[in-house]
Amino acid sequence: MIQPDEFLETVDMIQKENLDVRTVTMGINLLDCHRESVADTCSAIQKKIKNKASKLVETCDRVSSEYAIQVVNKRIAVTPIANVGAGFNIDGFIQIAHALDDVIGEVGVDLLGGFSADVANGTACGDLELIASIPQALTETNKICSSVNVGSTRHGINMDAIVLMGETVKDLANASAEQGGFAAAKFVVFTNQPGDNPFMAGAIHGLDQNEVVINVGVSGPGVIARALERTIAKAGAENLGLQDLAEIIKHTAFRVTRCGELIGRQVAKIMGIPFGVVDLSLAPTPKIGDSVGEILQILGVDVIGAPGSTAILAMLNDAVKKGGVFASQSVGGLSGAFIPICEDQVLAEAVKNGNLCIEKLEAMTSVCSVGLDMIAIPGSVDAATISALIADEMAIGMINGKTTAVRVIPVPGKEEGDFVAFGGLFGESAIMPIRNVGKSSRFINFAGKIPAPIHSLRN
Amino acid sequence: METQMPNQLYAISIMSKDRVGIIADVSYKLSQLSGNIADIRQSVLCGYFSMILLVAFPVDIAQSTIEAKLSEINQISESALAVSIKPVNEAITFTTNTFPENTYVLTVTGQDKVGFVAAVTTFCAQKHINILDLSTTRKADQYVMILFIDMTQSQDIGSIRAELNQFSNKTGFRVVLQHYNIFRAVNEIDLPVV
Repeated sequence: MIQPDEFLETVDMIQKENLDVRTVTMGINLLDCHRESVADTCSAIQKKIKNKASKLVETCDRVSSEYAIQVVNKRIAVTPIANVGAGFNIDGFIQIAHALDDVIGEVGVDLLGGFSADVANGTACGDLELIASIPQALTETNKICSSVNVGSTRHGINMDAIVLMGETVKDLANASAEQGGFAAAKFVVFTNQPGDNPFMAGAIHGLDQNEVVINVGVSGPGVIARALERTIAKAGAENLGLQDLAEIIKHTAFRVTRCGELIGRQVAKIMGIPFGVVDLSLAPTPKIGDSVGEILQILGVDVIGAPGSTAILAMLNDAVKKGGVFASQSVGGLSGAFIPICEDQVLAEAVKNGNLCIEKLEAMTSVCSVGLDMIAIPGSVDAATISALIADEMAIGMINGKTTAVRVIPVPGKEEGDFVAFGGLFGESAIMPIRNVGKSSRFINFAGKIPAPIHSLRN
Repeated sequence: METQMPNQLYAISIMSKDRVGIIADVSYKLSQLSGNIADIRQSVLCGYFSMILLVAFPVDIAQSTIEAKLSEINQISESALAVSIKPVNEAITFTTNTFPENTYVLTVTGQDKVGFVAAVTTFCAQKHINILDLSTTRKADQYVMILFIDMTQSQDIGSIRAELNQFSNKTGFRVVLQHYNIFRAVNEIDLPVV
């Protein structure tokens, strides 16, 4: 029997501590939508998305009201469009982006992910055309997110593609200069990209997935922060070891995950489609009290970036997984703590105060998901330097057999000491200084491929 | 073959200052009269013991005999039991620990005052909300009521929420209505089947 205290704790988690379901993301396979002409393909795509997802928002709202748990975002992930539109040219892909943007406006979801390509082991013609279309496609649309998988533990890193990625990031930022380079915030470069990630900008519906599926991304940094604070206040910091705090994180992650599992399964059941995974990531928002950085501070570093930050993050990430994996029948996606700078008020503060530099952040990404995320960098940083930054992060993912990603925004006209605000969930931040700009061109000019690591040979 | 004597069912309520051994004393005395206990609910409220039992006795045991038997306990104990016995003549359905599918948990928090419980339960009664279980607790200086309610016979959840908001504005109580499954999902090992 659940005790009164447990009831009250659960009520507080939902009412006061920002426990919500961050996203319900419907994955839809679009491979069967390819037609001879671009126009026919676009209308087949629109028809299929409308057919599958027209009730998604309504159903999420209904379940949300029934359980009094907010489903913050309703999203769609589709088959990487490079596969759907293979054979079309740049213009064709741009038209597809518009068709997607139009249809999700009609369906009423917040964002669509999957304007994507997987080039980990090489680049096909469809991939090249899609990549070339990304800057225009993302600046001319509002709700389309794009990602490119450039490496994997299995295949190594496609450095030819990474050269293009640096240029794409620059082009995106410059084409949306009036919005602070915001289009670059809708684009992310991956290694080991999962095909069931419900979070943006990197959501895709992988080629190995069901025809249609419901995946859920939970949230809950605020819930974990408050649970830790309560424990420390009650027991006294001097009476607690880190293992005790890890245990609190584990228990709280269990609760958070369970909410996502319950809501996701209910939505899937009502819509009559299979339930996929719960993504256990701790996803912060710019809201005060909904920060991963704050958890690190509670666990003992006064500022984020101080020595100890990486160790604490490693423990947090691991404890979240341990709690979540038992709570859910199927865990997937990224599943770890996110540290997106602009979207996390405490992390953004650390950048502003000069406590958190990109090198420390890179170290921290080696023990959590997902990578260098939502970092505003000086607009003067050149494409080759961005490519090299991407290559470093991809190497961490490739060697450690984990997902890593880069989403940086070289804000046009802004330099170290300046500030940029994207609004809403995308947040705001000081510009993160980048050292040694322009010193990596020879490396990037080699291009080609970083071969698969020795531990890719597992058979 | 032994003939089974027909039974008479009684509802027995016992109240007393709490001490060790009340249930043992009562159940022993009942067994001496061949009373078969069908169901028990027992609780201790602020140090005060209360218990309600459903007990089947052979028909030849009179109510006065049961009363006399239970009063023997008072001779051996310092704290007297207040006993009340009523025959139950209608068919009984045993309570189970499972609530109906449409069970919600209503949590009401506010300053302790006369009429708190009456205000909340009157609201429920007016909206045809059946209270399945109710407990109260204290959190800091606040009085908290936790009600398990069956919403099967009430209006849709949206209008109940709107009316609860009005009720909350009027009374100053903080009112939260959530599906029971959420509490089960986050506190129990098994995920509720949806």
